[in-house]
Amino acid sequence: MLAFFKDSTRKTVWKMEAGIVPISLFRFLDGESAHMQIQAFHLTKVHDSGVKVLDDAYFSAPEGSFVAVLGESRTGKSTFLKILGGEEKPTSGVLRIDHKDIYSLSEKERHQWLSDVGMIFPDLKLFPDKTVEENIHFILQAKGASGEGEREAVAKLLSNAGLEGKASSKPSVLSSGEQRMVLALRAMIFRPRLLLADDPFQGLDEKAIAVLFRLFHELNRSGSTVILSTQQMAFLDASRNNSLPISWVKLEQGKLEPLEEIAS
Amino acid sequence: MSTSSRLFYVLKEGFLQLFRSRGLSTAVIVIVASTLLQLSFFLGLSLVLDHALGSAREKFQMAVFLAPAAQPSDRQRIQALLLADPRVASVGLVTKEEALQDFRKDPEIDQMVEALGENPLTDSFTVVLRKDAVEKPDELVAKLRQDPQIEEVDYGKNEWETVSNLTHVARWVGLVIGGFIFLTALFIISNTLSLALWARREDFILMARMGAPTWMRWGPYLWEGLLQGLGGALLVVLLMEALRRGAGEALQKYAGLDMLLALPAGDWGRLYFTLVVLGVFLGFLGAFLALQRKWVREIH
Repeated sequence: MLAFFKDSTRKTVWKMEAGIVPISLFRFLDGESAHMQIQAFHLTKVHDSGVKVLDDAYFSAPEGSFVAVLGESRTGKSTFLKILGGEEKPTSGVLRIDHKDIYSLSEKERHQWLSDVGMIFPDLKLFPDKTVEENIHFILQAKGASGEGEREAVAKLLSNAGLEGKASSKPSVLSSGEQRMVLALRAMIFRPRLLLADDPFQGLDEKAIAVLFRLFHELNRSGSTVILSTQQMAFLDASRNNSLPISWVKLEQGKLEPLEEIAS
Repeated sequence: MSTSSRLFYVLKEGFLQLFRSRGLSTAVIVIVASTLLQLSFFLGLSLVLDHALGSAREKFQMAVFLAPAAQPSDRQRIQALLLADPRVASVGLVTKEEALQDFRKDPEIDQMVEALGENPLTDSFTVVLRKDAVEKPDELVAKLRQDPQIEEVDYGKNEWETVSNLTHVARWVGLVIGGFIFLTALFIISNTLSLALWARREDFILMARMGAPTWMRWGPYLWEGLLQGLGGALLVVLLMEALRRGAGEALQKYAGLDMLLALPAGDWGRLYFTLVVLGVFLGFLGAFLALQRKWVREIH
């Protein structure tokens, strides 16, 4: 059995017990994460090229929510997630994450804040010189979540994500789907309080999508706020059919509109 | 994360990175080695000069000539005076008879002395100064010259000053040229390391975006620079040791010069140690300067 959790000092503690690791990896998480809530008002983003991708948009993600942003290609989903991740400053508007303006944090505060954020962005690639295992260990060290037993825990996690035997492989020998799965595991393994996933299912086969979707769900159930973007309507139907508690919003013409009636 | 875990990470990553970017590592090591090789020339020159000056010091003697009217009691008094001086290592008496005997070994002088019909020389003392007093004999000389029973004090002032001044000039010139080479090398090394850093800028940006703290980004890179400097220094030490053995013996055999072989092993050891310290310093400082580039500092 695999379990990892953050103790009262917010350091990740790893526990390994003998036994079969269930498919649902996050079922055995102990403890609760402190939730992260997001509020945005009058959010506008105009790119240098003059294209307005967000136009006076409103967005709210309550603590521990699971929000999926649906939108066509090039509607600004990636930009929106990058704004939430502190990577692209909005042109105007108010963005509060945990009641803080993340764009006015000091370097130390920003680093502290980032240690609670997991990101799955297409351009946030794996280190080509590091093995899969080293790439995952890197994030644990970067987030200050490294600890005893992590090697075994990482191995089990890889195994359950269908990446057994790939721990010592360099990213260049992995398929694009495998690389995407490792990227996702890397973003989740330290159990972030906020997970931002930009089109995480693209290029994955059905089995991998199912595993990843379940991982997101387990992470969310353990207390993390999960926000993902996708352009595939199929997930909307799947979440509705499985009664998954996902809030759907649609990004269109710079506005974020809730699609609650569809999810319910 | 504990300090030891951080240290382990930095050491491991820096070491691995050294091998991952073999081409650039080799370039930096070669640049460090070529710089240190030039610096070692000046350091070696300084060492040889030091050794030569040390040998000259050991041979440094002062001749104190007594006045013709000096009595045996004056001789004893002056000898006691010299022996009591803390700057004096030893005192040897040369009587005027002994001096004459020595002079007459030259046939021409012998004829001149024969024509004079009497011994024109006086008694004298051969004074050897302590090593620490050799540099400043003037004070003692002035004191001795005040004694009415001392006619002259000869210590080869001009020759000594020439040797001493030349040594100082050579050292300063060596220091200036060496310093210039060092700064030039630092510039070249930091630029080479900047290129290495530029080649890895995507990794650096990725690390920052994932929230890796500064020590995780800078630590391995500084350690890698230090290792490259160490590699270059060790290469030079190997070359120097080969040179000491090969060229030293050749110089002695074909030119009769023992300047390399005569240097004690301890001096060579100090030279090698200095080269290693300089190499490590060059590598580390070069890496540090590379990290001060604007584009690196802008990555948060």
